[in-house]
Amino acid sequence: MSEWEAKITTFLCNWCSYGAADLAGVSRFQYPPNFRIIRVPCSARVSPKFILAAFRHGADGVWVSG
Amino acid sequence: MESVEGAPGDFTVTLVNYPRFIDPDVCTGCGQCAQACPITGVNEYDCGLGKRAAISIRYAQAIPLAYNIDRDICIGCGLCEKVCLAEAVRYDDRPRKTELRVGALVLTPGSKVFDPKDLDTLCCRESPNVVTSMEFERILSASGPYLGHLMRPYDREEPAKIAWLQCVGSRDIHRCDHGYCSSVCCMYAIKEAVIAKEHARGDLDCAIFFMDMRTYGKDFERYYEDARNKHKIRFIRSRVHTVDEIRDTGDLLIQYATEDGRLKAETFDMVVLSVGFETPRELIDLSRTLQLQLTEGNFCQTSSFAPVSTSREGIFVGGAFQNPKDIPQSVIDASAAACAVGEILSPSRHTLTKAKEKIPELPVVGERPRIGVFVCKCGINIAGVVDVDAVREYAAGLPYVVYAADNLYTCSQDTQDAISRVIKENHLNRVVVAACTPKTHEPLFQETLAAAGLNKYLFEMTNIRNQDSWVHRDSPELATEKAKDLVRMAVAKVALMEPLQESTLSIDQNVLVVGGGVAGLMCARTLSRQGYEVFLIERSNVLGGQALDLYQTWKGEDIQDQVCKLIDDVERDVRIHVYLSTELTSVEGFVGNFKTQVKTGDGRTSQIEHGVAILATGAQEYRPEEYLYGRDPRVMTHLELDRRFMAGDPALKEIQSAVFIQCVGSREPERPYCSRVCCTHSMESALHLKELNPDMEVVILYRDIRTYGEREYLYRAAREAGVRFFRFSLDRKPRVRAGEDRLEIEVMDTILGRPIVMKADLLTLAAAIVPYRDQKLAQFFKVPMNEDGFFVEAHAKLGPSEFATDGVFLCGMAHYPKSIDESAAQALAASSRAVTLLARKEFQVSGTVAEVNPLYCSGCGVCVEICPYSAPSFVSEGRFAGKAQINPVLCKGCGLCVASCRSGALNLKGFGEDQIIAMINEM
Repeated sequence: MSEWEAKITTFLCNWCSYGAADLAGVSRFQYPPNFRIIRVPCSARVSPKFILAAFRHGADGVWVSG
Repeated sequence: MESVEGAPGDFTVTLVNYPRFIDPDVCTGCGQCAQACPITGVNEYDCGLGKRAAISIRYAQAIPLAYNIDRDICIGCGLCEKVCLAEAVRYDDRPRKTELRVGALVLTPGSKVFDPKDLDTLCCRESPNVVTSMEFERILSASGPYLGHLMRPYDREEPAKIAWLQCVGSRDIHRCDHGYCSSVCCMYAIKEAVIAKEHARGDLDCAIFFMDMRTYGKDFERYYEDARNKHKIRFIRSRVHTVDEIRDTGDLLIQYATEDGRLKAETFDMVVLSVGFETPRELIDLSRTLQLQLTEGNFCQTSSFAPVSTSREGIFVGGAFQNPKDIPQSVIDASAAACAVGEILSPSRHTLTKAKEKIPELPVVGERPRIGVFVCKCGINIAGVVDVDAVREYAAGLPYVVYAADNLYTCSQDTQDAISRVIKENHLNRVVVAACTPKTHEPLFQETLAAAGLNKYLFEMTNIRNQDSWVHRDSPELATEKAKDLVRMAVAKVALMEPLQESTLSIDQNVLVVGGGVAGLMCARTLSRQGYEVFLIERSNVLGGQALDLYQTWKGEDIQDQVCKLIDDVERDVRIHVYLSTELTSVEGFVGNFKTQVKTGDGRTSQIEHGVAILATGAQEYRPEEYLYGRDPRVMTHLELDRRFMAGDPALKEIQSAVFIQCVGSREPERPYCSRVCCTHSMESALHLKELNPDMEVVILYRDIRTYGEREYLYRAAREAGVRFFRFSLDRKPRVRAGEDRLEIEVMDTILGRPIVMKADLLTLAAAIVPYRDQKLAQFFKVPMNEDGFFVEAHAKLGPSEFATDGVFLCGMAHYPKSIDESAAQALAASSRAVTLLARKEFQVSGTVAEVNPLYCSGCGVCVEICPYSAPSFVSEGRFAGKAQINPVLCKGCGLCVASCRSGALNLKGFGEDQIIAMINEM
């Protein structure tokens, strides 16, 4: 097994997925600390440019949820 | 609630507050106490399928988000008090009595779910694999006892076959004395089956055992069709005899009788009982204390034209206590009750309002950013995992950060005062708070900024609790690294934030109501009573709409009486301006300031200025093309028969045999929706005919009888009166011939399995309700229409009486077919929603809206086309003619147009491209 860990950039919609991520915390679900969340007002705000920018900055994956 | 004294406008209500042993004002909802509590109890919210501590929150979304000690199981060990850094525990809490002085009361106590434990044939006591629908909801829930994994309680195995049994505790006068239909169970059973299939890893077989499938709500019939055809859910029309547990496997054997009388049996892994509503004993007692009249089924009695008024003046009702109903209907009731209260209390509106002190904003534009970072420990919620000192130190070293601190609880009042002071002392012009979630706390901190004279948008919050310390408990170093990253990202973003303005816009206090039927009339009357000027537009030359052709409501009230009174009230009202034979020719403007041109029958035009509009344009009866309609005078529609009832036609008495055919034009490929009211209407008419002549043969040919709620009593009464029912299916519809002296109707008898012919003197067709499909009106107000031609509301469940377009509201049959009481309730609801805007007198526009740089705009129109709120439009004249512009009043700040703009001309203030890219760069 390699030591490699993925770095994931996440765009979450304020009204649904961001709230879900909060709820995951309230429920104390444990998950790996590999991703960084950017809150957006709606997943519609996520322009393809952001996804490309994330990859350019070394993200191994981009997750858009809304 | 202990007692209610006084009269409308001045009630004194005595309340008993039960002790929760936690001070909800101090509790931060952090949950440390529950982690420490050594006692385990049954989780009632999970219907006993899960566990909880003695100190708990009922569910994660509870408001207030404060804990509660269950003293029945608490051993008083004191651990929770010890770990609570907010010092919220109060072991000596006692019941407190409070007195409230109010002008009106709204009762929304809801209902209880029927407990099937005594129905011994259903095996629900013996087998854990027989669950109620509520238990199954919890099983499916991601935050439920099984985390959303489909499992059966007996062995936690995934079931391969699940059966739903309908009408458990409803439509049953023998075993539970509930003669009513619970209205919601057919639809939720289908929903649960569809969702269960989504959750199942294997190939799940779902079967629903039912008597009549009652999918009468908006878009419900389509859902039913999809469940059957797409999701392959089996619908078995039957009566269930018994459910027996098979020993060793825990499986369940269902024995049932099919429609043609054959006994069959099938084995399932799990059985879900679709339990209905029941008014709990305490509520019946409370109604007695309050002197409220209840119906036969112990629901609160109301009348069709005052659907949320109880029998006691000044007390209103909404939701399942009024009658079994689903979410949209309850939401409509809630708004309607608020409207009814507004009617009696509008003179005192704004009398208790206090003006907020406005602090002048400090100018920051052009200044170098001076950022303050506040890192929250949240007791030990964050500090127990994340090294807060390290994060603070790290933050202090970030670009533009001139101040960094940590707090035990950043949200506490003393910290707010401290932040305010720090902002002033250090001349901060940007603030970052690293704490819990902005969804609950951002407004609080923004207020603190405003109090310190900073624009509230010069703020960024980052979540190092819910999305960090709570979820990475076992990797504190990585969690600390993540917190640092999150703070760095927030600092990068906030440095680029600019002060945003929230402009205010005045709201014209006049209302335009389009449609003069029952819904429109109700709107006009209530809005005028609340002090607003109303312009009521009706396309025909008379007020009253479809109600003019209706005889009685399902509750037996005379409709003409009531409609005449309503019309009279409206016509005599000086604040209501009625425009008959009038149509709209153009609409300009937006919420708060519409300008509408109307053209009256005599060709005159005039302009109406109004702040909001309510569309109540109604629907009409379908003109059937089948069953000899229009070719034989003995064949008529419901409205035509009602006219005969009203005229007291003596010929009706002489009829020997009358037949009704249901679903004429509804639930057909061409019109796939259910028209909702026709089953009940046929029951009423059949009973009227039976009253006129008890010897008359009355037959109803139907596909499913959909007499939901307490309308079910009419179905029972019809059967008791000797009305006969024959079911037919869509592929074997009845055939009608004009015989020598009587009509001959041939129908396939599903019990005999062969066609029978009946003779009739009168054939009534339960014709569909069809919308007007007013495309012009839809375009004027930029509101959507569904494929059936009904208007589409903002939200099917939570926004049933308004459009997504601000300032435009919806009620009556333009939304969907509905009975008079439902139209009346929705009219009040739409009016109430309109008043929430009107009463503010001005409209605060959010600062986070899209803006156009016209120099970059190519005028392609993508933004204009895709915006669901009609905020973008083309500039019509001047230097930038043809370019896009955004109306900040209509913009919801979603950013759809911004992300879709091919020229980069659009920007979303507060979530700008530079700001998001800055966050990505710092990741």
